[in-house]
Formats: sequence, C-alpha cells, structure tokens
Amino acid sequence: MHKGFSFNRVYKLIKRDLVLLRGALTTSVLVAVVLLFLFSIFNMIWDQQLSTSEFFGIFGIFYIPLGLLFTFALFREFNDSKKNHMYLILPVSIPERLFAKWLTSTLIYTFVFSVIAVLVGMFAMIVGIIVFGADFTPISLVSVSYWDLLKTYFLVQPVFLVGAITFKRNRVGKTILSLGVLVLCFALLHFILYALFNYSLGVFETDGLGSVAFDKAGSDFSSLGKWFYVILLGPVMLAVAYFKMTEKEV
Amino acid sequence: MLSIKKLHFAYSNSPAVLSNINLNFSTGNIYGLFGKNGEGKSTLLKLMAGLLFPMTGSCNLHGEPTKKRQPHILKDVFLVPEDFELPSLRIGQFEKINSSFYPSFSKTQFYDLLEEFGLSPSNTISKLSFGQKKKVLIAFGIATNTPLLLMDEPTNGLDIPSKSQFRKVMASAVDQGKCIVISTHQVRDLHSLINHVVILDDSKVCMDLPLETISENLWFGMTPKKNLEDVIYTESTLGGRAILARGERDETEIDLELLFNGVIEAGVKITESINSETHA
Amino acid sequence: MDFDNSKPIYLQIVDFFYENILTKTWQEGERIPSVREVAMMVEVNPNTAIRAFNHLQDLEVIYNKRGIGYFVSDTGYSKVLEVKRKEFKEQDLPDVFKKMKLLDVTFEEVKSAYNQHQNEKK
Repeated sequence: MHKGFSFNRVYKLIKRDLVLLRGALTTSVLVAVVLLFLFSIFNMIWDQQLSTSEFFGIFGIFYIPLGLLFTFALFREFNDSKKNHMYLILPVSIPERLFAKWLTSTLIYTFVFSVIAVLVGMFAMIVGIIVFGADFTPISLVSVSYWDLLKTYFLVQPVFLVGAITFKRNRVGKTILSLGVLVLCFALLHFILYALFNYSLGVFETDGLGSVAFDKAGSDFSSLGKWFYVILLGPVMLAVAYFKMTEKEV
Repeated sequence: MLSIKKLHFAYSNSPAVLSNINLNFSTGNIYGLFGKNGEGKSTLLKLMAGLLFPMTGSCNLHGEPTKKRQPHILKDVFLVPEDFELPSLRIGQFEKINSSFYPSFSKTQFYDLLEEFGLSPSNTISKLSFGQKKKVLIAFGIATNTPLLLMDEPTNGLDIPSKSQFRKVMASAVDQGKCIVISTHQVRDLHSLINHVVILDDSKVCMDLPLETISENLWFGMTPKKNLEDVIYTESTLGGRAILARGERDETEIDLELLFNGVIEAGVKITESINSETHA
Repeated sequence: MDFDNSKPIYLQIVDFFYENILTKTWQEGERIPSVREVAMMVEVNPNTAIRAFNHLQDLEVIYNKRGIGYFVSDTGYSKVLEVKRKEFKEQDLPDVFKKMKLLDVTFEEVKSAYNQHQNEKK
C-alpha cells in the first residue's frame, strides 16, 4: 500500500466522481451547449458579428456559475449523511481527496468547458455566416478576456469549495450570504483603515494635491492588496477546505 | 488489532452515548455487539471505522488512530451501516468505482455472493428494495476482504431465507486473518455465528467475554426444582429458563437472549460468578 | 441445521457426523467436508466447527492429512458404534426403564412389542 500521496488514487477518485455525477453532468452540458449556441446566434443578429470579447462575455455568463454549481454537486455525496459513509471510509488521504475535488472542479472542468464552448461558438459562427452573412472572427483561447475569466474563477471557486464542504443544506445560498458578509466586513475594514491612516492628514479627493496622492496610493497599494486577496481567496481557502474535510464526521 | 481505550463520546448537547469504553478486538473472531436500542452500538461501530471521532480516549487500528483516516489504515476496515443510501447506478458500476480502492477486493467473490443473494450486476440499485440494497453492501463488504469488517444490524431488512444465506456467507467469510464485528438486537439470527460477546448498557461495556469462557462457567436451562441457591438469574416464571453456576454440570449451549437479559438486570452477579470461577 | 437449545452446538455437529458415519454416508477412509464447508453447511462460526473436528480427532473417529483434509479413520465406524452404544445404554435405556416403572410396563410386554416391530419391518 502506497503510504504517501498517490496520484493513482486521485485519478480513481476523479473517475468515481464523474461516474456518480454523470447524469447531472450530461444534462447541464447539454443545456449549456444549447444556451451558448442561442446566445451566440442572438448576438450575431444584432451586428452580424461575434467578436472574441463578445463571445467570452457569453462564455463567462455560463462558465463561472456552472463551475460553482458543479463544485457544489461534487460535494453532494460528502454532505449526505446517508451516503457519505461510502466516501469517507475509502482508503484515501485528505490531501488526495481535496486535490481530486479541486482538480475536477477547476482544471478538468475548465478544459472540458472551454473545448465545448469553442466548438459551439465556431458552429454558431458558421450558422451565422450562412444565415445572416456574419463576419468571420476566429475564436481564440489566447485572449485576455478568456484568461481574466479563468483568473476570476480560480480565485472565487475555493470560497465556494469551502461553502460546499461546510454547509449541509441550502449550500449555494449560505455561501453567497457568507461571501456577502465577508465583502461587507472587508469594506468596513478598508473604511476604518482609510480613516485611521488619513484622518490626521486631512486629505480629500477634492483637493488638487489629494487626487495626486490618491492615484499614487492606489497604484502602490493595489498590487499589495491584490496579493492579499489572491492569497486569501486561493491558498488560504484551500487550507480551510483541507481542515474542514479533516474534521468531517458522518 | 483494534483497541479502544478510555473512549468517551457524546453527540452535541446530549448526554454521553459511550463513556469509558475499553475494548480489544483480535483476528479470527466474530464478535457480537449487543445492547438495547440507543445504547450506542452504531456509534461505537462508526467510531471504530473512523467515521466519528472520540471526544476523549482513543480508538487505534494497528496502533494508529482511525480518526486520522490514513489510507494504509482505512484499507483494512469496511463498515456496513444500518441505515444508508446507495447511488442510483447499476450494481456492476457501483462495484467498479469503489472496489479499486481496496487492494484485496475479490471480484469473483463479490459476483458469486450477488448470485447467491439472487441479484444481477445489471440491476439498478435505486430500483432495489432496502433488503436487496443491504445485500449489495454486505456482499461488497465481504468481498473487500478487509481484516476488520463491521456490520450494523446486517439481518435487519433481510427476509427469512436471506438470513440463513447470510449466516452461510459469514461462516465462509471468516478466517484466521479476519475480525468481524456484528451489532444486533436480533440475537436469534446470529447466535451460532458469534464466538465473543460484547454487551453495552447504560453507555458502558457490561460484558466482554469469549463464549467459551461463558459456557465454561455458566449453565443454561430450565430452573431446577432443587438447589435454587445456584440460580444466578431466572426469568420470573417458575420452570422458566435460568442461568446457573455450571459447577460440575454438563456444558450447555449459551442462551444468548437469556444471557443478555441477565446481564442487563443482574450484570454484577453474572460477571462475579464468572470471575470467581475462573480465578478459583 | 436447527439447533437444540440445551446441547452445545459443537456436540450437535458431532452428532451430525456420527449420523453420517453410522448410515455409511461417509465411509471409512473417505474424505469428509472441510472445516469451512461444515461451518457453511450448518451456518456456524468456523471456530465452533473446529471444536467439533478436534473432539472427533481426539476420539480417533477422524484424522487429518496435512494439506489434504480430514478423513474418516479405518476404525471410525466401530468407534462411533461404541460411543453411541454406550450413550444408548447409559442415557436412553435408564430413561426407558424409569418410564417402564412409572407406567408399570413389564419386560415381557416390551419384548413382544420389539418382536412385533421387527416382524412388521420384514
């Protein structure tokens, strides 16, 4: 028996999840395909073209919400007290379990969804060219809007991963609610920090000097702040997910 | 192989379900875990499988806590719970996605057992009755060939012929490398199978003995008319079944139901008489 | 197999062996089912079955060929006959005598009943 981290077990877990969810997966993929196609067609009726950014706008509407729903679906068995004995008793370590779930809901999901979406987009464009004489614009994954979507998803997803692990019922609602509370808390924190740091300076945006200061501070701190959030949303959330999974009892 | 020390467990905001439990389970035995409803039999099995975590004390398999859920420990345990749901797959698919995790899983054994239970791999699990689902999980559990197999009320929901099949299957499944723990309150279903009895009452272990020791020290039968002083426990009615100190009498078969009632009502008297005789 | 509540199960398994040997279902020198097969057949813990096997081995009714299995020994039939005859004389007959006395049945009556029974058989 392999004592350390085993990719073989991760692979088996992923296969197991995909078989368990195959019903839900086929339906949602079909729905996504149809909707992606219709949205692309409607877009072309308007201006006879489907630009890359327009396509990825449509892509984003489905990519992120479906991914989050998929994340929740992946943990359905985990939180079902009548079914989870089978999963929890499997001889697989917690890092392997978490890695399998994360991999399925991020990399694998993104890859499969992107391929399907690009195929549907191309097909829609062919239909568009034939029916409305739309312009041909090749859809390429080497596009800033695509990678921005991916970044957003990979950062937001761990929060929902934690939500999917933590809550037993109304998981989506509770996660969004907690996320809302978190955002409010951080807004408040920022407000307080801002007040603390700037109170004595008497800096206000309306001053000529003030706006320069704001620009400087904005560019200085945004990179710092970005890292703060990237770390908070990514690795920290995954660490939280790890501990939540470790503590899980039937 | 599995040892429980000073284990204490309670569900949130309720009184202790198990307190100060000390038990050892070794291979080559079939343990019968008895107790009234709600005495923590299922809880104990889940703790043993690492599905619940002890509040204090420990539960170690091969010397490592089961609650850590390490693969090299969990590969040696399987639990058939009392109440469960299985995914709506065909039995064959269910086997494929789960069996590969267990290094000693035997496909032929699993499909042979299914056949014996009158099920086919192409049956869809969601269309089966609860008893049939239980058979699927029992067959799976036996086929995993884990050294420790835990079964919670396995005969609950089985029809009469299946109970006999179950006993046959269990009799063939146990060997020197295996330890099977079966919890039940249907003593009659299993009395010929078990060779060690553990009785839980009042959230404590009030008996933990091999049947051999019990039958060496106690005599089960009709209340004798003479020498009533030997009687340790009797079911109120005269001429009813009674437990006596065995003394020089012939060995009798243990009446588990009577023993259980006796231990619940006169536990101290019974354990004392066993201890005094074994030490004598 | 349905078990009688008073006798230890392993002795009931022993009786089951005796019956098979007396009726010659299992001949001398013939291989008998393994521990596991017997345990399955009568739905008992293999440990209980082993106890029955050991008991019979001690009485030299059966013997173990390492790695092959258990066999009825050449003197198996006569050994069983001896045990059963002893059991009949020491346990069954005293019961019959007790009943004869209680019901005032004479030995002559028993004898004629026995002869009649034998004749009916023919």
